[in-house]
Amino acid sequence: MGGHKGLINTFKYSLIIIGLSISIFPLVYMLLQSLAPWNEVNRNIIPTTLTLRSYNWLLLGSAIAKAKPWLRSLLNSTIVTASSTFLMVFSAAIVGYALSKLKFRGRNSIYNFILFQMFYPGIILLIPTFLIVKSLGMYNNYLGMIIPKAMSIWAIFMYTSFFKSIPQEVIDSARVDGASELRIIFRIALPMSRSITIVVALFLFMGRWEELLWDMIVVSDYKLMTLNVLIATMKSTYGGYPGPMYAASILLVIPVLILFIAFSKDFAKGIKLVFK
Amino acid sequence: MKRTRWIEVRGWSLTSPYLIFTLIFFIIPLIWGIVLLFTNWNLISPHRDFVGFANFIEALKSPKVHAAFFTTYKVMAIFIPTVLTSSLAIALLINSIPRLKGLISVGFFLPYLVSGVAVALVVNGVLSYNSPLSPMFRRLFGCVPDWFGNSTLAVMVISLMITWKLSGYYALIFLSGLSSIPKELYEAADIDGAGWWTKLFKITIPMLYPALYTVIILAVGLMFGIFTEPYMLTGGGPDLATHTWVLEIYYQAFSSMRAGYASMIALINATVTFISIIIIRKIMEGWGKRHGWT
Repeated sequence: MGGHKGLINTFKYSLIIIGLSISIFPLVYMLLQSLAPWNEVNRNIIPTTLTLRSYNWLLLGSAIAKAKPWLRSLLNSTIVTASSTFLMVFSAAIVGYALSKLKFRGRNSIYNFILFQMFYPGIILLIPTFLIVKSLGMYNNYLGMIIPKAMSIWAIFMYTSFFKSIPQEVIDSARVDGASELRIIFRIALPMSRSITIVVALFLFMGRWEELLWDMIVVSDYKLMTLNVLIATMKSTYGGYPGPMYAASILLVIPVLILFIAFSKDFAKGIKLVFK
Repeated sequence: MKRTRWIEVRGWSLTSPYLIFTLIFFIIPLIWGIVLLFTNWNLISPHRDFVGFANFIEALKSPKVHAAFFTTYKVMAIFIPTVLTSSLAIALLINSIPRLKGLISVGFFLPYLVSGVAVALVVNGVLSYNSPLSPMFRRLFGCVPDWFGNSTLAVMVISLMITWKLSGYYALIFLSGLSSIPKELYEAADIDGAGWWTKLFKITIPMLYPALYTVIILAVGLMFGIFTEPYMLTGGGPDLATHTWVLEIYYQAFSSMRAGYASMIALINATVTFISIIIIRKIMEGWGKRHGWT
């Protein structure tokens, strides 16, 4: 019987290994191709030797083609994504706290409107939002990428439902001690929701980092493009240089992977709360 | 009395960031969007005419809009079954093994982290004529298929890319659903001598209804916003086979500069999405009711 069970487990783990290989194949492929000699890119899965030529060419350019601002675009991605994510978490915590813990008049109407917005297709707003951003002078600068993405309805919804589980006595006793509402939010409510905050922030960060359409339409200057947009913009120009394009993809993927792996323990804990 | 006013002031001031944001980036665009629907504005010139329902009529007749409409359902027909099967299989596998559950589920989640732009480059490379996978395709199909020159294949590639990306994510939703199924149900089934498949279809899947509902609504909603994959790989081709709503809206608004016409397509897209989701919800809820969920 024990042998039978062991056999089944071996079978399951082999299935998992096959599945995981499919899952990470594109990542591994990208990495290997970015390090391959140019005549082997997209020819061999595993290159015969490894070289940094693609990275060199990408970042330093060559005699005939000046390098595009790839590192700058990595910085742009970081600035835009970090600011947006911070603002989305910050605003969602404040609004979620007010909606779950303060029984003010109009609270239910606001909450219902948030639910309505959650199911409202954002695509209808794309063009008019672009026009507003343009008329506010935020076209072709960081603000145009950050401000319209400074609030997440989903995050507000998550915090509103999560803060409900914080006992009212905790908040009342903090008030008796003279704590302001903002202090309660950032010193009590948020630290008590560490796992959920990490999951929400990670999802927002990933979503923002990968945004293509919006960042593509609000920025036209190469120096301000996010890395994601720069790769998409250069894909045909650099069509004959797949090696450097893979190198750029690695630059794009690594920061998110590092961030995710750094928080993967908290993520595993928090994700259960999100899908409860 | 004083206490009440205090709570009003705090409540409204703490929600004010949301209120201001919603006014500027929701209410005003909403109204502006409605005005745009009936104009022929090109985003630049001060000149714009009221054109009545011309945009609407043109959109209804446009082969590109028809293509976008059908592509969504073609991709859905491949994506929904494949993603449900693979994510459920991943969740069941992870749920049934003794060790490394956390690590393995994180491994399957990794594709969700990879930007569609980067994945598109890999897919493009792997499916190119001389790619390292070509010998394999030659053995399997007798030739190297022209992946992006053939309508059916192009739709398949794009659908499976999305399946690849989301399987691990949906598996997490199924995993949390699986953990709430009472063990007694399986014990009772074992006594009755039920086999693995019977338990899967009679217990696991019906008991997963809430998770299935979430996943299907998320997955269907996603289908109406596909952009990155066809933008990077096919540009909507061949013969508009992979042309999507968002692609059409993007091209019309920002290449052809037809803001009014593009807004009209966005509105039609939203309406089609809304109706499709309602139908799917009704079907799901009917299925749930038959299995005792209310």
